[in-house]
Amino acid sequence: MSKPLINPARFRAGRPPFRAWLKKTRYLLLGKEADKGLLFRVMIYLILIDTAYIYLNPLFYMITSMVKNSADLLDPSVRWIPREIFTGTLTDAWIHVRFPQAFTISLLLSTSVALLQTLSCAVAGYALARLDIPFKSFWFFCLLLTFVVPPQVIILPNLIAASQIFHVMKTYYPIIVPALFGHGLKGALFVIIYRQFFSTQPKELEEAARMDGAGVLRVFTRVMLPLARPAILVVFLFSFVWTWNDYYTPGMYMGGSKSLPLSLGITQISAQLAAQAGESGPSLFDEPIKMAGAFLIILPPLVLYLFAQRWFIEGVERTGLVE
Amino acid sequence: MRTPVRRLPSSTIRKLEGTLFFTPWIVGFLLFMVFPLGYSFYMSFHQVQILATGISFQYKGFYYYKYILFENADLLYNQLIPFLRQAVLMLPIIVVFSLFTAIILNQNFWGRTFFRAVFFLPVIFTTGQVITEFITQGEGNLDFLERYNLSSLVVTYLPPSWASPIVAVLSSFVLVLWYSGVQILIFLAGRQTISPSVYEAARIDGANPWEVFWKITLPAMLPFVLLNLIYTTVDLFTYPGNPILTQVNTTDYGRSSALAWIYFAIIFVFLGIIFFLFTRFFRGVKPAGR
Repeated sequence: MSKPLINPARFRAGRPPFRAWLKKTRYLLLGKEADKGLLFRVMIYLILIDTAYIYLNPLFYMITSMVKNSADLLDPSVRWIPREIFTGTLTDAWIHVRFPQAFTISLLLSTSVALLQTLSCAVAGYALARLDIPFKSFWFFCLLLTFVVPPQVIILPNLIAASQIFHVMKTYYPIIVPALFGHGLKGALFVIIYRQFFSTQPKELEEAARMDGAGVLRVFTRVMLPLARPAILVVFLFSFVWTWNDYYTPGMYMGGSKSLPLSLGITQISAQLAAQAGESGPSLFDEPIKMAGAFLIILPPLVLYLFAQRWFIEGVERTGLVE
Repeated sequence: MRTPVRRLPSSTIRKLEGTLFFTPWIVGFLLFMVFPLGYSFYMSFHQVQILATGISFQYKGFYYYKYILFENADLLYNQLIPFLRQAVLMLPIIVVFSLFTAIILNQNFWGRTFFRAVFFLPVIFTTGQVITEFITQGEGNLDFLERYNLSSLVVTYLPPSWASPIVAVLSSFVLVLWYSGVQILIFLAGRQTISPSVYEAARIDGANPWEVFWKITLPAMLPFVLLNLIYTTVDLFTYPGNPILTQVNTTDYGRSSALAWIYFAIIFVFLGIIFFLFTRFFRGVKPAGR
């Protein structure tokens, strides 16, 4: 084929190359879609990095203040980076909170509560989503009610029951037993999460299993639970971390006990510091020790989160947490 | 031939199965919710004394309610009113911030996993005690707010009843943002429910990003906004560090129970107002293409 003598493009009206170039640049900067342009990208990164910095600021402060020695603490020119890493504060806090013991208690307590809640809330959530229950909407209303009732409204009767009827004060039963029944710390929320997850699953799966002669229990354990892996992960992690951090319930039931979970660490440190201040006046290290204590409390869940966060966030998206 | 075994109708069997599955929760509900609720309601009308021999009740009628509501402002109003003002300020900040963050985090960009992890981090350690420590340390404020002396500006130009909660919120602004971890997750999950084809259609029709946000993303997110408002309210109000709740203690069971019930009623009214206002404002807005 021979080349055409006249290039038709040259005669096309109204599209000077300048316009095309402009458009190209615009696409590059703003993008064909809102979120694809260069300018937008830069903006997003600026916003994200700034917000992330603001967000993490207290955390940075916590870490730097706990590794400062007394010279660095007094020197106003040392704001963020200490001249040398001082581990004395951390060691002190470690002793004050009795870390190895408190850590073990917290670990056992949180793991058992999380395991129980993961299972019992799944059963309740599955029943609400998929099974025939008489007065189902009434029970669902009760579930929502449970979510709204502040723990403080029901704590006093529970305390009386624990001390007068069951004699379980200073034990972990009042914290663990509710989890067995799908209640406990934010149990209602977990049931709601499971309910949402199970109600988005296809009905055919269940029906097929039923045709093959599987009972409810079998359908639940063999078909639904394996599918619910993202929901299970989300509930387990939430439950674990929230139980780990909770200091209200243990503080109420465990008052005066020797074997306290780690979450009460700061309370312990504060009490000891107050006692010390009574004798020898406040010390320069009061705040850094509290910061170090806080750090010791959040370190274990932080490590757990570092490993699990990817599945976790994907899991939340996939559970369809809501509708 | 064997005589056919009498069987229950299948609908009854299904109901039985369902009930069987749900029974543990109901038992727990009766034990850990209905009983304590009723008992604390009962206690709120009585003077309770724990003796070595048992518990003694002395009927007091509405005495504690009257005392808290009309006689002693220390117990409820002095704590509640600043707290309510703070909550009213914090709610929109938290919800708008988490919506904004969730929409940005939903974009596909390099390092997204990292930023998601960062913004969700506070959920891991927002334990009341750690936060209280940060607040007493003044580590929750933003540097630039201090630099421009915003707090003193607020104090000079606003009536003191509103100035102090605003200053309180400003001085712990970062920690206010810290309350949005779960909310960000809820919005992220909610954003997944909008199908990409709706966005594609809008693009073909020539909508710009601004229009897309207001006409598609926001209406579809409205149910999640309501959900987050409710979640945040419950979270703020049931937070153990909350000033009223620290007064619910074992020093006086009757008075504490009455206070807890009054507080519970306030939460309910507050949630009701939010629900009412929300449905009022957004009645006309329908999510597109769902």
